[in-house]
Amino acid sequence: MKNKLEKLRDDFLESLQKINDLPALRELELKYLSRKGELNGLLGELKDLSLEMRREAGELANVIKQELQERFNEVKTEIEKKEESAAYLDPTVPGEKITTGSLHPLTLLRRELEEFFATLGFMVMDGPELESEFYNFEALNVPPHHPARDMQDTFYVDLKNKQGEYDLTMRTQTSNTQVRAMRKYGVPLKVIMPGRVFRSEATDARHEHTFYQLEGVMVGKNINFAQMKSVLEAVGKKLYGPETKFRMRPKFYPFVEPGSNGEYTCFLCQGKGCHVCKYSGWLEILGCGLIHPDVLRAGGVDPEQYSGFAFGFGLNRLAMLKYGINDIRLFNAGDLRFLQQF
Amino acid sequence: MYLSLNWLKDFVKLPKAINPTDIAELLTLHIVEVESWKEQKAVFEKVVVGRVVSVAPHPNADRLRLIKVDIKGEILDIVCGAPNVAFGQKVPVALVGATLPNGVEIKESEIRGEKSYGMICAEDELGLGSDHEGIMVLSDKAKIGQSFADYLNFNDIILEIDNKSLSNRGDLWGHYGMARELSALLKSPLRPYLSNLENKDLHGSGKSQLDVKIEDKSACFRYIAVKINHVKTIESPRWLKERLVAVGARPINALVDITNYVMLESGQPLHAFDASGLEKISIRASKDGESLETLDEKERLLPKNSIVITDGYEPIALAGIMGGKRCAVNSDTESIILEAASFDAVRVRQTSQALNLRTDASMRFEKTLDPNLPEQAWQRAWQLIKEIMPEAELAGQPVDIVNFKLEPSPIEVDFSWLKKRLGYSLTRKETISILERLGFKVDVSKNILAVIPPSWRAVKDVSIKEDILEEVARIVGYNNILSQSPISPLTPLPDNLELSLERKIQDILSGAGRLHEVYNYSFVSEAVLSKLNLDPSRCLRLANPISEQHVFLRPTLLAGLWQDARLNQFNFNQFGIFELGRIFLPAPGEYMKDDRGDFLPYQGKQLAMLFASQDNSVSFNRIKGLVNLLFTKLWPDSRVEFLALENQPAWSQAGQAVAVFCAGKELGVAGLLDNKLANAFGLKLKTAVVELNFKEILELSQSLASNHYRELSKYPPVVRDVAFVVEEKILYNDFWRTLISFHPLLVKAELFDIYRGEALGSGRKSWAFHLTYQAEDRTLTALEIDAIQTDLVNRCHDQFEAQIRDF
Repeated sequence: MKNKLEKLRDDFLESLQKINDLPALRELELKYLSRKGELNGLLGELKDLSLEMRREAGELANVIKQELQERFNEVKTEIEKKEESAAYLDPTVPGEKITTGSLHPLTLLRRELEEFFATLGFMVMDGPELESEFYNFEALNVPPHHPARDMQDTFYVDLKNKQGEYDLTMRTQTSNTQVRAMRKYGVPLKVIMPGRVFRSEATDARHEHTFYQLEGVMVGKNINFAQMKSVLEAVGKKLYGPETKFRMRPKFYPFVEPGSNGEYTCFLCQGKGCHVCKYSGWLEILGCGLIHPDVLRAGGVDPEQYSGFAFGFGLNRLAMLKYGINDIRLFNAGDLRFLQQF
Repeated sequence: MYLSLNWLKDFVKLPKAINPTDIAELLTLHIVEVESWKEQKAVFEKVVVGRVVSVAPHPNADRLRLIKVDIKGEILDIVCGAPNVAFGQKVPVALVGATLPNGVEIKESEIRGEKSYGMICAEDELGLGSDHEGIMVLSDKAKIGQSFADYLNFNDIILEIDNKSLSNRGDLWGHYGMARELSALLKSPLRPYLSNLENKDLHGSGKSQLDVKIEDKSACFRYIAVKINHVKTIESPRWLKERLVAVGARPINALVDITNYVMLESGQPLHAFDASGLEKISIRASKDGESLETLDEKERLLPKNSIVITDGYEPIALAGIMGGKRCAVNSDTESIILEAASFDAVRVRQTSQALNLRTDASMRFEKTLDPNLPEQAWQRAWQLIKEIMPEAELAGQPVDIVNFKLEPSPIEVDFSWLKKRLGYSLTRKETISILERLGFKVDVSKNILAVIPPSWRAVKDVSIKEDILEEVARIVGYNNILSQSPISPLTPLPDNLELSLERKIQDILSGAGRLHEVYNYSFVSEAVLSKLNLDPSRCLRLANPISEQHVFLRPTLLAGLWQDARLNQFNFNQFGIFELGRIFLPAPGEYMKDDRGDFLPYQGKQLAMLFASQDNSVSFNRIKGLVNLLFTKLWPDSRVEFLALENQPAWSQAGQAVAVFCAGKELGVAGLLDNKLANAFGLKLKTAVVELNFKEILELSQSLASNHYRELSKYPPVVRDVAFVVEEKILYNDFWRTLISFHPLLVKAELFDIYRGEALGSGRKSWAFHLTYQAEDRTLTALEIDAIQTDLVNRCHDQFEAQIRDF
């Protein structure tokens, strides 16, 4: 019995020396040290021995068992350490590359503004881009010989009406939707009308013939100039922060009376003057005014009972200021190097 | 337009403490936009007074001389060609770095081998006259080294006004009109335009010697013609020249300068004809084929319906735009006919535009001028002529044809309405004062103001009470009106299905779809359309395109996407993009055109995607996958199908375009761009595209019910994998429909592998499907499933000659 135990010990230790990975070690453990392993098998044979021999062999068996277990643990720790360092993962390597898509910067800006105006209760309306002279000019109080109607400024579509005249335009402003909105929804009305507009203009880094505007109107009983200011002040604070100031100066637009320009304090210099605001401290952002009674009438609204204000601004310019884009042509260029930055 | 502050001060007193920045801001915030202001001195920056200390011949040129000029503390060498240069003269010297009013930049130079460090200037080079006979010789009082501007006593401030901001205010195109506004703003009195003119000065002796007739009554509302004898084309006095120069006009001779001066002052353009042989004047429309040599010595074919001034036979001037050469004032002129008139704004503008000839006069006339203004203007001009040429005299009575009636009726303004509409509280007295300062007449009865606008406003921009409101608001100052939050009823916004669908689509495609959103132009070129086999004759086009690239209205978004792909292929070898935008077709669309019941051309929204890679099947697979992704995300229960198209689009690879169906509704087309077209177009990557009708998707979203939760089955599904071998020509979708509609317990048939190989024989392919069987009320037995599947296999064999592939 003693021999058997010692042989087992020697075999075990010899095998243990050769082992250098965990699965083999586990196999060895199963073979010798597990419940059904060889050592336990030998111990099971003890019961067949005489009492004295059983005691002697029992003691030896315990010593060996302890020794083997200790050696086993040492080797196991050693291998584990080795494997651990071999299997070491640099936790700072970058993760899997998952490509992304992108939304157009004007989509992002439009959404931001649409959501902002929604908080003020303005709905969003879409209007036609190919528009009749009626909605683009006439209904907006732009008379037939007004310079704005010139073919130098306005794209006309090559389809003549029964009188042999061109009367279809690519809308020059989102204001075309003002009258459509009043006719569709009546009063009271709070609506913004973002969209694509066109001007017959040679393109360069600062000029585009295709760009985006956002128009807004509010019509109701007793809507006044001071209220228009309040809404536009809120727009400025939304765009450029709570300290933003709003300044108005007279400007003529046929569809409003009185008409005004709107400027906000420059977000970069807070009104001190810098290259962004051309050292004026102000950024000219919008046009606005109380809606001309003729426009209300064209929209089926009685100007004696209701009044309203309208405002509009160029989204491209806002996006250029917001993202620091220096060439307006990038918006329509389809260049992924530009688009994937958003 | 430039404004001289000194000139304004002729008519209105400005507070001493006010600085140019304040004035500019005052004008900008209440009247018109001031673009910038500058000191008048600035035009002569780096021009100084020098003294000629030596004159020597130029060794290599007879006409040139080498001059040494003392500019105080420094002697400059200058090569000079003027014949009148002489020792001891004090002269204006432009130093290196100066830019003269005529645009010449002074640089260090070498003239025929001799260095020159500046220029001794003639009058015309300084913009002070037309004299180029020799250098300008200054008075003895000039101090050496003094700046030339100081020598001239230039102390004016020049404001530049944005002309666009004046487009509706014909009355502001002269200094007097602007002075009137400043007077109203600053509550400072305005001097009358004409002073020291007595009535007797305005009538010549005897009857008028002129025969004037307005033939075209709609062309001319006022025509004043005055013959003035004993005039000379002498040089203008210095003060007059300097005023003109200060606001950017070029002095020519006293007669012409005076007409310009009065225009810049009053806003009323004048014209002086040489009177010799001119006895008759008639105003009419141009005749077909008529032409005129204008002052600038160009023979111009006159556009139809232009207004012309004639000598009774032939045009002598283009009314309101430019005079003719034949009757122009010249060095022999001894008598003139001075014209002060009022012409139809629209016709002046049309002619000026057609000829591309914009002049100071036409810019003013096209704004619509007060027909009362010519009277004051000719009188002012006469006053100046008399002052400069005392021997001048009126030859008979002026002719004055009045062809207008301007009797503005009172505009009734309810004072409480005014306050309410402004949201600003001001007194009635204040309101009346503002209006009166601007020249309005106000009658008050109870709460109603009856306001009569002055003629210079009534003629164009003031006719309704809102105009009166604007006048009051802008003088009060828009920025002095405090904001007030509007009060409106609390109504929830209506659902905007279209907008929310747009956003969802954009989010899905840019998110899980990993596409980049592009915006392309609405216009495409003929070349692009033809290269892509899109027929230009079926597209709308612009009547006045500005470039060949942008002529046709896009009939599909695909043209733009392919152009984008062509651009991006140099930087990326695989990418996907999409656009959601309007396309245009000649057929009537859904928007009303006007009140007459017509419709605008079709301009529905389209959703288009493009995927580009090195490989056709990769691209096409991705595009179809994107369509699946989109609709599965929108409506998880919807079934997307790609069906064979009988009529393939002209751009597609033969047989490689399919109709896209979702929930049984046809939404558009997907396909591969034909290889040959792609090559000709310069597109090397393989592109697959899809174009979908957005409105159809929107309608679908309204008809498809929102997702319903399906209770999780208590009975497990059984999945059997089967591979069918079929002929290549069998279309997947037909086969799949047979599978899925075969038995109610067969709930799903998912293609997971396509195999082609020799073992199958050529022209054959193997489709491997996961077939899922499930019952809602029990666990299916193998026997049951075996029976269904055997029938299915037989059915596929009968219908498609499909065979089971042994693994």
